[in-house]
Amino acid sequence: MIHFMKGCAIAASVAMGVLASSGPLQAAPDDGLINESSAALKGKKVAFVPIAMGFDLTEAWAAGLKLDAQRFGYELTIRDPNWSVDAGAQAISQLISEQPDVIVVHPPEIQAYTRLIQQANAAGIPVITVSLKADANGDVFVGPDWYDLAVKETESMVKFCGKDSGKSGKIAVMQGVLTNPTSQYGIQAIEATLKDHPEIQIVSNQAADWDASKAHAIASTVIKANPDLCGFIGLWDNMDVGIAAAIKEAGKQGQIYIASSGGGNQVSACDNIESGNFSSYVSYDAKGQARDLMMAVRAILQNKPTTPGEHSVGLYTPLKVITKETMTADSCWKLEDVKKFGP
Amino acid sequence: MSGRSITKLSQEKIVAIITIVLVVFFSATLHSFLTPGNILALLQNVAILGILGIAMALAIIGRGIDLSVVAIMAVSVAWVLQLNNNGVDLSQAIAMGFVLALAIGLINGVLIAYLEVPAIFATLAMGTAAYGSVRAVLLEDNLVYLKAAGDSWFKWIGSGQILGVPSPVMVFAVIALLAHLFLRFAVPGRFLFAMGDNPLAARATGVPIRPLIVLQYLLTAAIAFVAGVVMATAVDSMETRVARSNLVYDIILVVVIGGIGLNGGKGGIRNVLVGTLLIGVLLNGMTIMNIPYTLQNIIKSLILLAAIIIDALMNPRDEQTSQQGDI
Amino acid sequence: MAMRETLTRLRYRFVPDHILGEILAKSWIDNAIPVAILILTLCVLGSMIPGLVAVGSLLGMSAQFGELLLVVMAMTIVMLAGGIDLSVGSVFALANFVTLALFNMLGWPILVVIPVAILCGALVGLVNGILIGYLRLRAFLTTLVTLIIVRSIVDMFILEYAVKVARPTTLSRIWDFISFKRVLGMPVALIVCLAIAILAHLTLTRLRPGWHIMAVGGSRRSAFNAGLPVRRTIAMTYVLSGMLAALAGVFYASRLNAAGSDTGVGLEVLALTAAVVGGNSLGGGRGSVFKAVLGAIIILILSNSLLRLSLPTGGTSAVLGFVLIAAVAIDVKWVKHRDKLQTSVYVSPTFLALGKAPETAEGSASPYALNNLLKDVELIGLGEIDGPEDPILDAAGNLYCGTRHGDIIRFFAPDFTSKEVFVHTGGHPLGLAFDRDGNLLACVAGMGLYRIGPDKKITRLSDQTNRSWLSVIDDSRMRLADDLDIAPDGRIFFSEATIRFDMSDWMVDALEARGNGRIICYDPSTGSTRTIMDKLRFPNGITMARDGESFFFAETWGCCVSRYWFAGARTGQREVVIPDLPGYPDNINRASDGGYWLAMVGMRTPIFDMALQNPGFRKRMVERVAPDEWLFPNMNYGCVIKFDENGRITDCLWDSRGTNHPMITSMREHEGWLYLGGVSNNRIGRYRIPGGDPTWTAHASYRGEAR
Repeated sequence: MIHFMKGCAIAASVAMGVLASSGPLQAAPDDGLINESSAALKGKKVAFVPIAMGFDLTEAWAAGLKLDAQRFGYELTIRDPNWSVDAGAQAISQLISEQPDVIVVHPPEIQAYTRLIQQANAAGIPVITVSLKADANGDVFVGPDWYDLAVKETESMVKFCGKDSGKSGKIAVMQGVLTNPTSQYGIQAIEATLKDHPEIQIVSNQAADWDASKAHAIASTVIKANPDLCGFIGLWDNMDVGIAAAIKEAGKQGQIYIASSGGGNQVSACDNIESGNFSSYVSYDAKGQARDLMMAVRAILQNKPTTPGEHSVGLYTPLKVITKETMTADSCWKLEDVKKFGP
Repeated sequence: MSGRSITKLSQEKIVAIITIVLVVFFSATLHSFLTPGNILALLQNVAILGILGIAMALAIIGRGIDLSVVAIMAVSVAWVLQLNNNGVDLSQAIAMGFVLALAIGLINGVLIAYLEVPAIFATLAMGTAAYGSVRAVLLEDNLVYLKAAGDSWFKWIGSGQILGVPSPVMVFAVIALLAHLFLRFAVPGRFLFAMGDNPLAARATGVPIRPLIVLQYLLTAAIAFVAGVVMATAVDSMETRVARSNLVYDIILVVVIGGIGLNGGKGGIRNVLVGTLLIGVLLNGMTIMNIPYTLQNIIKSLILLAAIIIDALMNPRDEQTSQQGDI
Repeated sequence: MAMRETLTRLRYRFVPDHILGEILAKSWIDNAIPVAILILTLCVLGSMIPGLVAVGSLLGMSAQFGELLLVVMAMTIVMLAGGIDLSVGSVFALANFVTLALFNMLGWPILVVIPVAILCGALVGLVNGILIGYLRLRAFLTTLVTLIIVRSIVDMFILEYAVKVARPTTLSRIWDFISFKRVLGMPVALIVCLAIAILAHLTLTRLRPGWHIMAVGGSRRSAFNAGLPVRRTIAMTYVLSGMLAALAGVFYASRLNAAGSDTGVGLEVLALTAAVVGGNSLGGGRGSVFKAVLGAIIILILSNSLLRLSLPTGGTSAVLGFVLIAAVAIDVKWVKHRDKLQTSVYVSPTFLALGKAPETAEGSASPYALNNLLKDVELIGLGEIDGPEDPILDAAGNLYCGTRHGDIIRFFAPDFTSKEVFVHTGGHPLGLAFDRDGNLLACVAGMGLYRIGPDKKITRLSDQTNRSWLSVIDDSRMRLADDLDIAPDGRIFFSEATIRFDMSDWMVDALEARGNGRIICYDPSTGSTRTIMDKLRFPNGITMARDGESFFFAETWGCCVSRYWFAGARTGQREVVIPDLPGYPDNINRASDGGYWLAMVGMRTPIFDMALQNPGFRKRMVERVAPDEWLFPNMNYGCVIKFDENGRITDCLWDSRGTNHPMITSMREHEGWLYLGGVSNNRIGRYRIPGGDPTWTAHASYRGEAR
């Protein structure tokens, strides 16, 4: 309770601080760039098409963009297709006809939006893709290197199940949506890494469409079919909790290793590491991505590319492996904090 | 006459025979199949599907269908978890979630009974509407974790054991027994058959059709809530997106494959058990054989198709007696 | 009091109550609900989203619209035949994948790829069709299973090839044209889709296969018993559905060039929603391509707007769900209550104040005084005929009359004991007349004006007249042609009693007392038909005056006889000759003494006269009381009167006991006899006219004035 009170007090004072500082901002002396750069953002239109709102990643990114929109007076519209690829495509085609100054896209699949991104570029609208890499680069990509991420996960798995571990070496892979870059590049990475470790074999490789309950059903049968299973490679925390529950149910927590990854949200990452639900976790720090995204949008708005899509910038997120040993108090971020104070 | 009794195989018997054949086949070919551990695991895997199947069976026997069971299950239980996580007392949270489930069931019933909207549309639309509005108004996230009540008795419902039998199987058994008793001995249960068989005749003989329909969907919602509790406590979370999945189709398959006709008025809980068992045996066997998920779906569907084709050949429908608008 | 009466009169004169019922009777009214929903959607969302209805915004949606409409049509066609096809979404995904795999990965020419993709859809449809049409499986379950199977197959392939199929290895100008080009501002998908929609509409409404689909959906059992190929028809709808869904998938491939596990998921629900919101009934028999188009537009605009409104997560689903509930609930209630509403609204009484009815009491000085002159009439064809409205005699003295069964019966002279069916018309022949060449002209109720030669050859002269602009009912059609006469110049003038009721309900027209009838002229020299007078209160009998320039006509509910000049100095003028009759006049025919016979089909009663001044009372009666309890004019008792050129009553014949001729609709004088007919009678009466000219015939009378 005292904690809570303290939190409130801090929140209030920070909020006041923000309010106070926003006042004299305009009266501050011109350093030769600041006025020009913030004026370039004013009145611009930014559109954001996530896969869906309502989960930690997109909420964090949106929180960042909202903060900037308020601060610099650009107009932010969020079109939420709620997991439907077709609705997302519809939203982007619609946006192309509305001509915003930049479109931020979170593509659910490698291919689905490729043509639309090209069309937007052709219509003179710069496109920023976030987190999931599409086949069309657009102008900026903000997100993790999925190959590297899967390599890191597999390496930690190898450490636990590999040679001299005394384990069976049987592992299972739980993919999300098959046409998603996490799967397309992730599977290549897992296979390439395991080439050097022939003692480890993949006994199950299935897709749960980012759905925890589906993951739970698949995982529990896999565990039963392979009683000596050594570990699971999962590709997203929100889905992998289903695997963790299946392991717990089978009474094998601690015996079956589970490597997960995600945006590093306190609830899905650090809490699960703490409780032993996940054994290791590769975080791509969605809070940091939110900041990268804010900056990418600012950069594009200030310096609009003459022919959008011609030169692409890749802002690959640094990855961080979290285990019980490496975890610190600030390994993770809290969504409510990001919403309140920005990334 | 004896020849006729041989040819007159009901779908339930056909499915039971297929199930037995499969069990024999798997036992012979897969050494880990016929072990007590595996059989219990098999049952546990299909317990939630079976509970939802019982809910669906009640709706179908009364010549309805409830496509909103999954949505009801997901949003009501997710709300319970969220309330509890936010500090509401567990029993109070459960009561509130249960009332939410019943409220959605009530709207279903009223739409179907009093506004005379066809059940398939009313529940299809209600599933979407209930998922959407609860998600938008009450829930903060798609995925709600079971945190606060993680160590209480509540958790036991989905992940405990009695004498080595997993608790979801026990819950399934209890619900099945209650539903069976209701259909067999309770007056509304008998009326449900009358209504499913011929609603107009039932109405003419004084069966209160409209209140009965409302009751039917209230029961469905209540059972769906129980299934949701089992699911959430088994997985430690509730993913509301399950409302948009194909799960409801699986539930219909379980019910129909057991031999409960979509026409209503026929069948019972035994049919659900048979259907659930077949699906359970199939899934378990295929999983041990390490058949991929999508291929499992195909095999499952082909077997269902075979079952309904055999049923159609054995009990052909007559052009003169089939009902108009019967899909 | 007079003030109030004036107000009532004006209110019923100027408020067109009858239009509501007439609108409800239109077949296009079935589209009213979806159109209303569409307008409502546009108004509500248009005010919330600026620029929603702008051209650019609509064009942005046009490619999706083409795909969605194809799938909705697929669903609609199956629904029209009484089924449902849940597999459309999976077929859509399959065709999308096949197109991309064959074109991008294997590099097949696009003109082969597209037909192969459509063929795949047709094959899935064929499986559905064989199972549901021929093996009689349940549509819902079967297509549910094919939905899952096809979806799983697609998923398996996607797992293997998703990335490869999306990387084109060949280029095709045709494919690029389909993918990117716009013709007349519309994407190719939309143009193809609209063309198919028109084709489908024509097939369903004009061609045999389409009619078979509608018949099977309307009543599968009746279609089967009528010998239609029910099973083949049903199977065919699924094949068509598969092909349409596959075509939509091809266009999707051209638009996005991507195959994902999400493609087409939930499309079946969206298509079903659109089809139902558009007003197509689940279970078949009611629906159209136009309804499918409406539904697709509504759903697309709705889902697109919801996306743009940036609702909180779940908001879109919530709104879509509630819209589906509302649409189906409204539709259900509409279908259930439309007929009820229409029947209760259709009859719309108006105000009519008749003048005081003349005295008819026996022994009074009134010209209408009751007597019993008709008590000893000879009866012809008793019990052998039904409904001889208007008997007539030819030059040879043979007697003709129409019957309710649609025949014209001929009784042979001289004793009329033997008879034959002269011709069969199909409708109820009412008024009859002979022309100079001995042809029999007949007004046939429900059909129009016909000519029957002495050789029994039937010729249709006219069955439609000019359509009046402001009439909601299609008044070009002849509903109740009643009586006719032929002018010396050969023109045929005939009355149509009412345009609002059919023959079986003719008496309900009395409750309205509105001028629903008209007099029509058919000119054989040009073959044209024109309405010359309308808004008449049940115009009935017509007969030529002896000046050759005018005719007399009776208005039954108006209880009056008027004269109308169609030629000469007074052309176009109308004059009421007898304003207030004691009963309801029917046919008029010439008498040998220079006067005119007039039949009274029934007598006025004070209570009905009073009811005519209380339209509200009659309206309530129609709405709340069963039709057989309604207050109708008295039709059980009538008479024959004779009037001269100035409208003076010169004779009156009654059957006071009502045993032989309680109701008289027509009479003909022939060689000193008066032949009596009644539309509800089973006999023709023959009355010897005291002092009647035994040589006079109508033919001679008409011939005498021939110029």
